[in-house]
Amino acid sequence: MKKNIRKSLALVLTTAIAGASIAGCGTRPESAGQDSSAQNSADSSAAQTSQTGATESSDYKVLRFGQALSGDGLDMQKSTSSTSASIADEVTESLLRFNDDNEEEVVLLTDFPEISEDGTVYSFELKEGVYFTDGTELTSEDVQFTFERMFKPETEAKSYSYFSMIKGADKVLSGEADTLEGFEVVDDYHFTITLDYAYAPFIENIGTSYADIFPKEATQAAGDNWGVGTNLIGTGPYVIQSNDDVSQVVLVKNENYHGGEVNLDEIDIIYYDDVTTKLLAYENGEIDLADLPADLLGQYQESYADQIHAYHPLGTNFISLNLQDEVLSDVNVRKAISLAINREELVETILNGAGIPATSYLNNQIPGHSDSNGVYEYDPEAAKALLAESGYEDGLVIDAEIRAADQTLYGAIQGYLAEVGITLNLNVVDNATWSSDRAAGSIDLTGITWNALYADADFQVYTYFYSDNSDGKSVFYHNDEFDKLLDDARSETDEAKRAELYEQADTILSLEDYAAIPLFYPQSQFIAKDYVKGFTVGNLIYHFWYVDIEK
Amino acid sequence: MRKYLLKRIGLAIGIVFAISLITFIILNIIPGDPAALMLGDMASPETIAKLREQMGLDRPLPEQYIAWIFRLITGDLGNSYFQKKPVLELIGYALYYTSRLAICAYAIALIIGITSGVIAAVFQGKAVDRILMTIAIMGISAPAFWVAILLQIYIALNFDIFPVSGANEPIGFVLPSIALGSRYAASIARITRTSMIETMNQDFIKTARAKGLKNYRIILVHALRNALLPIVTVIGSDIGSLLAGAMLTESVFNIPGIGKLLIDAINKRDLPIVQGTVMYIATVCVLIYLIVDILYAVIDPRIKLGEGSSE
Repeated sequence: MKKNIRKSLALVLTTAIAGASIAGCGTRPESAGQDSSAQNSADSSAAQTSQTGATESSDYKVLRFGQALSGDGLDMQKSTSSTSASIADEVTESLLRFNDDNEEEVVLLTDFPEISEDGTVYSFELKEGVYFTDGTELTSEDVQFTFERMFKPETEAKSYSYFSMIKGADKVLSGEADTLEGFEVVDDYHFTITLDYAYAPFIENIGTSYADIFPKEATQAAGDNWGVGTNLIGTGPYVIQSNDDVSQVVLVKNENYHGGEVNLDEIDIIYYDDVTTKLLAYENGEIDLADLPADLLGQYQESYADQIHAYHPLGTNFISLNLQDEVLSDVNVRKAISLAINREELVETILNGAGIPATSYLNNQIPGHSDSNGVYEYDPEAAKALLAESGYEDGLVIDAEIRAADQTLYGAIQGYLAEVGITLNLNVVDNATWSSDRAAGSIDLTGITWNALYADADFQVYTYFYSDNSDGKSVFYHNDEFDKLLDDARSETDEAKRAELYEQADTILSLEDYAAIPLFYPQSQFIAKDYVKGFTVGNLIYHFWYVDIEK
Repeated sequence: MRKYLLKRIGLAIGIVFAISLITFIILNIIPGDPAALMLGDMASPETIAKLREQMGLDRPLPEQYIAWIFRLITGDLGNSYFQKKPVLELIGYALYYTSRLAICAYAIALIIGITSGVIAAVFQGKAVDRILMTIAIMGISAPAFWVAILLQIYIALNFDIFPVSGANEPIGFVLPSIALGSRYAASIARITRTSMIETMNQDFIKTARAKGLKNYRIILVHALRNALLPIVTVIGSDIGSLLAGAMLTESVFNIPGIGKLLIDAINKRDLPIVQGTVMYIATVCVLIYLIVDILYAVIDPRIKLGEGSSE
């Protein structure tokens, strides 16, 4: 009897395993985002392909790109991630855009908008005959809908502040109004946008991914699912064929693209969280293109030298200091930190040469940047003298909170500071802890690379160091003269004068107040198979507009 | 028996409840604000505070816990902060990959483990036995992620058969299954060997030999069939462990399973996913152990909770 029961137990468990096996070998589940009802005009090309590049025709061109998953969807009003933008920008387009030389160009307009003399009214003319991939024509109403949507509280947009100077934005934002007072539709192809005040970078802000234009009806129909799965429709060169929001997105050519013939038939974007796995997949031929972090540059440089391509994003890596901290509130200490670091050596050794030693806070490609003082001075003896002058001849201790990615860099900085008598206590935390501690103002010293969306100083300086903004970055920098220069530069329409104002502000920030300790302008790299042609990167967002495959 | 069952089920519910409380407390005391992470670098403290309010993170913890438990009871695990999708749907999607990996890994483990165990037992004390058991100890000792990386470098990169990563094609599961299954294979090999040696010394095997049955028939039909019973009993706990996801193996091979879902969610402080996934893992493990315990009780009625085994 007992033996029979034992046999029954074995049978039950075996059946359970077999059942689970059958379940496990079933069809791959569809993510909720994979809306099979999503329609697009690229169905014909979609029919030619299967997942991960399997094709019916040898002429069918597929690019397989490996990148990290941002995980917050493809609606660029809700996502601030450059990895999301790299996908979304292939599907949706803004009125203007930045090419890979970081120059702004016309996309959905007949020309750049006309700007009134006082700099507050922008008049636009849309190109006629531009269609979204659901077959509806782009009109002024879609643009109006897009701009109004970003301010509506229910959208929970993250990037509306770039456009909050549009007249009436505050009322939509607070729920008092449904429509933007400053947005006037003249007819299907003409509209004007009026600002509360002259704001020079506005023309650039509308060229970012945050101002991608959405089709009104389709966006409303998708509701909260816009940007999830295949629920993203635009006028761009590609259409989302499938998207599980977790492992892979497949884009296929928009056969009716208003910008002309599209080179690639398909782009497979495969998500990798582990950078080592991603690069092994590249080595194994599973992907054609991937970014290459600086810390792995040395490992790949020898074997893949001709496949590694460098580019310089519009950012600056700097030491961010909390000026409310008792020790760091002393400008002598801040200057001593700057003098203690040999930036050229740092770039050469720690970064494997992947960077440019800083000569000002502003990135070297941004108007307002200055080379006139050369690389920030390295003088440990002068640093010691400054510390002695402030009563720290016996040394001092500073607590730093950094992210894991900065560990090697800050290990070296710790060494430099130790030479002048500063003990840097490194506390390595994860991104979530770092973000909340910084927002709470509790970080004394940390490292960051602050990237601009485009080559304009306003973004790099104003968003981090203007009094109202610096408090939320654990900086607490308040200098009225500096703030006034930034205010003046925002409303100045003469580009040469603006650059001059930013240069002055930069001098105050990094050479008088030492409120930021700029280290270097980072270099980024991507690695691409030799048959991937025409791929260049201007800033951090990858674009595939001109890429081709020539095998 | 009914009393035992009720006690056992009550205990299981209590364990799941305790895990829910511990998980909730831990997740809410570790540093890291999901609102700050969601809004990114540009957000002001005011905007972050506003989002915290919208997400209900500003409410007292007991209130948050009670609200969560009530939703949990109705099967609502909430929505992901970042992906905006129901957590249950995300777990279901990840479970598809995890269960496939688990099945393949365990199938490999059973085949390799039982075969090695039988061979080692048949050649007990000989070189083959020593070699196989040394490999088994290495298999138990070697971390799965380390085996995974070795397989990627030495197998995937050198032979144009297996991909380094990915789980959309069946071939993509081979290396992850070997990496994950090797540990279980080693464990099963050791149990099989011990069990086989014990069985081979029993009288009915001697009788079989006396009857003149062929050696392979004695080993495979008579001895192995009886020796397998102890292995069957460990299958339950192994399945529970495998269905909980293999975080490192899934991460290394880029398989979007339960383990990877949990790691990503922890890094982003996506609390609904973390809480939901931990509750899923806890429930699966508790359920499987409950089933095994009940089946033990069916097999051996002397087993009664808290009443000793003398009855």
